[in-house]
Amino acid sequence: MIVLDEAAYRYPGSAVWALGPISLEIAPGEVVGVRGANESGKSTLCLVASGLAPAAIGGELRGRVVVDGRPTSAHRPHELAVRCGVLFDNPPAQLTGLHRTVYDEVAFGPCNLGLPVADVHARTRSALDVLAIGHLADRHPQRLSGGESQLVALAGLLALGPAYLVLDEPTSRLDAERSARVAVAVARVAEAGVGVLVAEHDEALLARLCDRVVDLGTPP
Amino acid sequence: MAAVAGAALAVAWGGWVAGAVVTVSALAALRAGRLRRVAVTALALTPVVLSSLAVNALLPAGGGGLAGALAALLRLLGATLPPTVLFATTELDDLLIELEARGLGRRSALVVGSALAAVPRTQARAVEVIEAQRARGLDTEGSWRRRLRGVLPLVAPVVIGSLAEVEERSLALETRAFGAPGRRTLLRRLPDSRAQKALRWVLAGLLVAGLLGRAVAVLVAPR
Repeated sequence: MIVLDEAAYRYPGSAVWALGPISLEIAPGEVVGVRGANESGKSTLCLVASGLAPAAIGGELRGRVVVDGRPTSAHRPHELAVRCGVLFDNPPAQLTGLHRTVYDEVAFGPCNLGLPVADVHARTRSALDVLAIGHLADRHPQRLSGGESQLVALAGLLALGPAYLVLDEPTSRLDAERSARVAVAVARVAEAGVGVLVAEHDEALLARLCDRVVDLGTPP
Repeated sequence: MAAVAGAALAVAWGGWVAGAVVTVSALAALRAGRLRRVAVTALALTPVVLSSLAVNALLPAGGGGLAGALAALLRLLGATLPPTVLFATTELDDLLIELEARGLGRRSALVVGSALAAVPRTQARAVEVIEAQRARGLDTEGSWRRRLRGVLPLVAPVVIGSLAEVEERSLALETRAFGAPGRRTLLRRLPDSRAQKALRWVLAGLLVAGLLGRAVAVLVAPR
């Protein structure tokens, strides 16, 4: 379970608290939505819940953020990556830029874990299939549309087999059909026991997808 | 191996050795259909070539004359063309896979890969910034003065954007378990024939012999 207990965060060099304090729990298999106006802290919540803030980007965290019983600060970055995948709101920046095919890009995470080759292939194909983007496997990652990049970045996370997924506006660049595909994929991984936190502006998607929705309101 | 040996021998010996390295590089680029890209790199050396000509041929202190300028040019081309051909004919991920397969750590391979990928990324970012600035009315066409004035507003967004991208990429790598311990899984290896292996040993021998020979030649040369 991911637990945020009175968690508040401010970015390095900033006097303003970008998030919280907020208390929130995400259980395995549960889909929790986050809504809120621009600047209300949705993206910051995603960074904090996934442990990237403050571990990777600095700043100050107050309160506690715990993943599966251990504070995020006690996890090493690669352990957190396997436990909790996070999709940024700028997916093209989440691609490594080191690969010439989408297949290799998606396989990058499992390869980093040093898994046997057969497992890497199985995870990669499964992640591509669950998002129905197998046809992109041979395409160059730098020549994808924004929406395709979003799906490939998500597939890269799914291939790591995380226990939790934190998705920052996962359908912001997608048309209705692809948004529905993401919703189906998220529902499917949640059924498989993955806890999901989704920050979204799309109320209809939140209503369709989430067990409950947290409102961050408007910034002060 | 060929790129390292060629560049090193061209620098060490200059003269006909550098000429041979340039010729072989040009033939390799021609065979791979990348002659144009290699020629562009050669043309990028024009300012250096002109200054070398000026120093050697026009200024008395230069001393080398036109022959000295041409020799310097040949040495410069011999040093730059082999790596240019290497990077023009090798896919980045193939290079990284081979480097890792030969024992280079994942972080070192990433540094190499990021450095090589930075050039096209920066070019793409510059094009985006130019289009954005044009949309806001910046005039980047016309006389050289106007073009120069148009370049200045591009510098800050390109540099700052590139720095921000480095931070984004490092976060992206964190989310993909890049820091996991142990060796990465390599999904494939490039074919490596016996002939290629043998050629690498020959080139390594040639490199060592060439550098030693040059060192001896310098030491025993009359002063």
